[in-house]
Amino acid sequence: VQIQAVSQIQVLGFGFLSFYNYKGFGFRILNSRGLVGFGVEMGANMSAGESDTDPPLQPRLGDIPESCIASVLMYLDPPEICKLARLNRAFRGASEADFIWELKLPTNYRYIMEKVFDEETKLKLGKKDVYARLCRPISFDNGTKEIWLHKSTGGVCLAISSKALRITGIDDRRYWNRISTEESRFQRVAYLQQIWWLQVDGEFEFQFPPGTYSLFFRLQLGRSSKRLGRRFCNHEHVHGWDIKPVKFKLTTSDGQHAVSQCYLDNPGNWVQYHAGDFVVKSTNALVNIKFSLTQIDCTHTKGGLCVDSVFILPTSPNLILVKLTLNYEN
Amino acid sequence: MASSSTSVVVSNKEKENKNTKKVTLKSSDGESFEVDESVAMESQTIKHIIEDGCANNEIPLPNVTSGILSRVIEYCKKHKEAAGESEPSVTSYTSNSTTNPLTEWDTEFVKVDQNTLFDLILAANYLDIKGLLDLTCKTVADMMKGKTPQEIRETFHIKNDYTPEEEAEVRKENQWAFE
Repeated sequence: VQIQAVSQIQVLGFGFLSFYNYKGFGFRILNSRGLVGFGVEMGANMSAGESDTDPPLQPRLGDIPESCIASVLMYLDPPEICKLARLNRAFRGASEADFIWELKLPTNYRYIMEKVFDEETKLKLGKKDVYARLCRPISFDNGTKEIWLHKSTGGVCLAISSKALRITGIDDRRYWNRISTEESRFQRVAYLQQIWWLQVDGEFEFQFPPGTYSLFFRLQLGRSSKRLGRRFCNHEHVHGWDIKPVKFKLTTSDGQHAVSQCYLDNPGNWVQYHAGDFVVKSTNALVNIKFSLTQIDCTHTKGGLCVDSVFILPTSPNLILVKLTLNYEN
Repeated sequence: MASSSTSVVVSNKEKENKNTKKVTLKSSDGESFEVDESVAMESQTIKHIIEDGCANNEIPLPNVTSGILSRVIEYCKKHKEAAGESEPSVTSYTSNSTTNPLTEWDTEFVKVDQNTLFDLILAANYLDIKGLLDLTCKTVADMMKGKTPQEIRETFHIKNDYTPEEEAEVRKENQWAFE
């Protein structure tokens, strides 16, 4: 009878065991060699003879209870955890453990959920689902902003549309026009034909998880369009950018300040120009950041510039490299 | 040796006497281990047994063999010693390795074969020893990093118990992580 019970467990696999919390269930199996097995209480009935013919019941990774598998998975990054969910049922169950994802989510995830999810959604999502949802860009503030998490690290990433920026002269069609394009995640960019005074300001208040963040302006010299499946770039208005650099400025409500200068270049391609970094030290503090792009030297005009958006990304050497090499497809 | 001090000041000798209360742990294969009570109490499970007054002569641990139990005791002794010498936070495995003097010792401790490692996880889980569970789980996680599911199945002898439908379902629900 005992031998039958053992083979039953093996056939069912550990999906069977995953329904039991090991603590309530108890490990109570011994054979005469004192090796650990699962599920059925054996004991006095087990004869010495039988145990000699058993294959050794040495625990393998597949024998570990789900709660322990979850403790192992906790040390891996989210893509790895999701990859391992495919191993077997116990791993799948373990990969759903709320405590794992509570640690992977950014510290301000409740604040983010307030902004982007409705009541119903908030209630029914487990922590892993929250993480999964937040990894895809979600639009908020009337479609003028997007937020998403960096998959491996849970780092908070933001994009602010040109629609949310204050552009001097935006209402004057001699200078600026808003044009539709599929090359922007917001479907619209601000296009500068020609101007003396270039000034683009933005302001954003948010509760950031502690860390260092980099701010970028996504810009392109030249106006691109698609015809017959091919991408064309119109450079007719592009001028003045090689005369003087543009200036980037970034300040925070807690007194941080960054200023930099840069010549705009690389016509026909979207470039993310690094405007500056800021540091967030405390959890749950609202930080107000102000940022600007200016070129107000009125001895020369400039034009042919597309302003798409501003990105705020967690600072990391890898991230910056990846982001700067992206072209219009992102 | 009996302490001769009856004053309020606690001498080192008195401290020693306090700590020499012993308990006996019995492994599944019948071997007995006598350890300091304070060391045994690194295990929350044992701590509760003692505190509930259920530890009479010895505490039986039917889920832990002598081989594993002796290693577990070694771990608890080492970590209890370290805690005694400095702040309690030192014994937390998750603390920064540059401030944790036990990192090297811990690394050597888990250089064991797969089966022993899993036995240690099971024991740490059953005995509720957080530091040991963290250490062993992290070690297994490190062994799994960068491997494909198939490689992990082979390395760790894991059986795939999915039906094809379930497998497709799992792939789909985790697709977001690979986009």
